[in-house]
Amino acid sequence: MKQAQDIGTLHILNKAPDHPRFMTCLSSLSDQDTLVLIENAVLALSDADTALPRHTVALEADTEARGLSATVTGAQQISHAQLVELTEHHSRIISW
Amino acid sequence: MTESPARNNEGYLEDAGTWSPDVARIIAGEDDISLSENHWEIIRFLREFYAAHEMSPPSNRLFVKAVKEALGEEKGNSIYLMQLFPGTPAKTACRIAGLPRPTNCL
Amino acid sequence: MTTLIVIDQPPYGSWTGREAMDMLFSLAAFDQPAALLFIGAGVNWLRRSQNASGIGQKTVEKNLSAAPLFGVDRIYAEQAACDRFLPDAGQRVNGVELAPSVKQLLDQHDHVFFAG
Repeated sequence: MKQAQDIGTLHILNKAPDHPRFMTCLSSLSDQDTLVLIENAVLALSDADTALPRHTVALEADTEARGLSATVTGAQQISHAQLVELTEHHSRIISW
Repeated sequence: MTESPARNNEGYLEDAGTWSPDVARIIAGEDDISLSENHWEIIRFLREFYAAHEMSPPSNRLFVKAVKEALGEEKGNSIYLMQLFPGTPAKTACRIAGLPRPTNCL
Repeated sequence: MTTLIVIDQPPYGSWTGREAMDMLFSLAAFDQPAALLFIGAGVNWLRRSQNASGIGQKTVEKNLSAAPLFGVDRIYAEQAACDRFLPDAGQRVNGVELAPSVKQLLDQHDHVFFAG
């Protein structure tokens, strides 16, 4: 049983925007991929210099922890349970 | 009888280089194990493994796997190793062979 | 399901690579197919004749040589990074496959984990 989003890769990113791997990850994304920001990567949501792709979500516990959750507009915020669902619906996952 | 060299709170040698067959006998004795040729074969295997790879087999499963690779199915199985080294065989055998505690054994 | 673990940090300066090795060996213990890829300065893990005793660490070259015994399928190294750090094949440990395209390798695996 394949889901619609199954075509793309799920990218789980935990590096802050100034980490070299942050840009490597962003530049490797395809249109149908989904980007999940967790841990320090959620700081990208407050970074004027970072343009995030269309399918970007952020782990709410991490945005809340850093005082960002109220101001986030560019990305849907998801729970841990929703993150687990995303991993279930993708056959290919890259943890950056 | 040799003095036992420095050990950590779980009974593993602080320095694998301080090991000797006499030390092995002392540590084995604490577990009421009297070392036979079958024990020594595994101990020699572990000493060589450590010299080559600077690590203990990281878990019990990989200990069994590595013994199987080196000495064959007859010895590389958990029942055989459990009989020689009761408890968690990788932990017991590494302790007697003077190796560090396997990292992934709970 | 195949897992690729990617190490992009050089050895000894941090513990991230060690954690990656733990993960690799845990997968191997449960017979899950796993491979290693070294990219960037991470290829320095693969240099011959390392001796870390003077800095009080274990030599990763020797740790790594246990991987095949535990059933770890392949060890890959990024071609461009090898050209930079280890241009001569004789500088590299045995059994390393050069990967001209990292992207292609990532695409071939279901799960990819970057260490650290």
